[in-house]
Amino acid sequence: MITREQPVLTARFDALKADPTNVAAFCELAGYDALKKAVTMEKTAILDELDTALLRGRGGAAYPAGKKWRSLYQSAGDTKYIVCNADEGEPGTFKDKALLMSDPLAVIEGMTIAGYLFGARQGYIYMRGEYRSLHRQFAQALAHARQANFLGENILGIAGFNYDIRIISGAGAYVCGESSALLNSIEGKTGRPRVKPPHLAEVGLYLKPTLVNNVESFADISVIVREGGAAFLNLGTKDGGGTKLICLTGHVKNRGLYEVNLGTPLYDLIYSDQYGGGSSTGRPLKFIHFGGQSGPIGAVAQLKDCIYSYDGLWDYDLSIGSGALVVLDDSVSIVDYLTSVSQFFTHESCGKCTPCRIGTLRIQELLEKFQQKIAVPGDLEVLKSMMTHVTQLSACGLGRSVTTSMESGLKLFPDEFAAAINQQTAEQREVMW
Amino acid sequence: MERVISMANITTDEKIAIINRYHANPEQALNILIDLQFTSSDGYIDQATAQLVAAHLGVTETRIYEMVSFYAILKEAPQARYVMKICNSAPCHFSGEQIVSHELEEILDIQEGQMTHDGLFMYHSIPCVGACAQAPFIKIKDRVFANLTADDVAQLISDLRAGRYPEL
Repeated sequence: MITREQPVLTARFDALKADPTNVAAFCELAGYDALKKAVTMEKTAILDELDTALLRGRGGAAYPAGKKWRSLYQSAGDTKYIVCNADEGEPGTFKDKALLMSDPLAVIEGMTIAGYLFGARQGYIYMRGEYRSLHRQFAQALAHARQANFLGENILGIAGFNYDIRIISGAGAYVCGESSALLNSIEGKTGRPRVKPPHLAEVGLYLKPTLVNNVESFADISVIVREGGAAFLNLGTKDGGGTKLICLTGHVKNRGLYEVNLGTPLYDLIYSDQYGGGSSTGRPLKFIHFGGQSGPIGAVAQLKDCIYSYDGLWDYDLSIGSGALVVLDDSVSIVDYLTSVSQFFTHESCGKCTPCRIGTLRIQELLEKFQQKIAVPGDLEVLKSMMTHVTQLSACGLGRSVTTSMESGLKLFPDEFAAAINQQTAEQREVMW
Repeated sequence: MERVISMANITTDEKIAIINRYHANPEQALNILIDLQFTSSDGYIDQATAQLVAAHLGVTETRIYEMVSFYAILKEAPQARYVMKICNSAPCHFSGEQIVSHELEEILDIQEGQMTHDGLFMYHSIPCVGACAQAPFIKIKDRVFANLTADDVAQLISDLRAGRYPEL
C-alpha cells in the first residue's frame, strides 16, 4: 500500500522527462496497471472504490467524483461521452499544465478507465488554447497509446472495448472551464454556459449523458483503481482523499508546483523551506487567495492552525478550489487586489446573463472608486448590494463565484474600505432595482 | 489553382489542407481557426478565410465570426510580427508584471493592442497563461521569457529587432 510520503501524481515526472509520451516507459512505472485491473473488476466495484476514495473534483468544485460517476452510470442510454476539462484558466493555476506536460498518459489512462466503465466510444479532451505546445505532445501520447492498443478497437484484446480520445482546442475563454460552456464549445458553438438542470450526466454533449472531469481528477482515477480507494483516502483526510497539486505564487520564495497530502498544515506550505519558504520580499505575508480568482481570501495571521484539506479550509470559510495559493505581502492593499480581481471577471463574463454581464462592470467601477479614494458614503452599501445581486441572480457557477473573494476581503479588512471613503461628501443613495 | 488572398502567406489550397487535416469537422472549428491564424504571417482571420472555413464546415459565416469575436485568442485584425503576451491577472499583477508593460510602453511607444509603425511589435494582456510562477514574463508564441527585469525587457526587444529569435 502506498504511504503518505509517496507522491502519486508527480511520481513519474522525472523518469519520463526524456519522452513523457513513451508508453513502454510509462508501463514500467505502473502505467496502465489501473486499466488492466479495471477490466477485471465488476463495474460497480470500481464505483465503490471511488466512493471509498472520496476523490473531490480537482477542477475546483470539490464535488465527489464517486457520486458524479455513479449518477452517469445510472443514466439511461447507450451513447455516453467522456470529457476531460483541460481548460485550466484560473489565474495562479498551472497544475493541469504540469500533468499534461510531464505525464499525459496518466490522464489518458484515467479517461480510458472511464471509457471502459461507461461503455463510451468517444472521449474528448478540451485543452486551453494557451497550452498550444502541449497539444502536439498530447496528440503524440494518444498516437503512442493507440499503437500499443491502449486506445482504438478491442483495447487490451477485449472484444468490443472500443474507445478513443480527440483533442479539442480552447481559444482563450475562461468561461469554457464551466462544464456546460465547455460542451457547447466542443459542439462548435460559442462557449456560453447552459442553464442547468438538466445535469450533464443526463443531457450533456450532443444531448447525451456526459462525464466531465478535470485533468487532475482523471490522473487520480488511475491511482484509485490501482491502489484501492482506502489507500487513496489515506493520502488525504476523511473529508477528501488523495494528494493535491498546489501552485504557489505571489510573494513566497519558492513559487511553483507541489504535490502535497491533503491534511498538511497550511503554514508548512507557506513557510517551510520544502515548500514556499516564507516571504520573498522581506515583508510580512498578509493574505492568501485560495483556488483561483473565483475562490475566497484568508488572512495569513488568522490561519496559524489551519490545515490544508477540504474540511480544514471549510472551517475557515475557505476552499481548495483549483489548488492555487496566491500569497501576498502587506504592501498589497486589499482594495487594489480586489479591483484587479473584478477587472478579470468583467473581462471574462461571457455576457449571456445580465446580472453577470452588467454586475461585474458595476462592481469594478465601484471598486475603482475605492481604489482612487473617491468613494462616497453609501458606496459600500451599493457595492454590497451589487455583490448580492450578481451572486444570487447569475445563471452559472462563474457568475455566482465572482464575489467570493470580495465577500471575504470585505470581512477581513473592512478598515481599508472605510479609509477609502471621503466622509465629507454627500451620501450616495442609489436605487438599484 | 493557387490564389493568394489577403492572409498574405497562405494559399487557398494550404488553407483547405488545414481544414481537411481536421476532416472539416465543425467540432474542430477552433483548432482549424487557430491553425489558420498562426500559419498566417499576419496572425489573424480575414473575411475570405472565415468564408472559406464556413463553407467547408457547412456553417454560416456569422457562426465563424461569432467564434472569432468570442474567443480571445482569435483575432479579426492583422497582428505584429512579434506578438508579446503579458498577464494582467492578480497573481502576476502583484508580482511585478507592470514593470514589463511599463517598459514595453516606454521602449516601443505603444499602448496595449497597438502595433509599432514598423509592424514588428505589439503586446496584449492575457488573463493567465499558466506561467504564474515565472512572473514578470513575456510570452511570444509558446516561449516564455521568465523573471524579467526592466533591463531584460529592453534586451529582449533589441534581440528581437536584431532577428535573434527567427523561430518566434
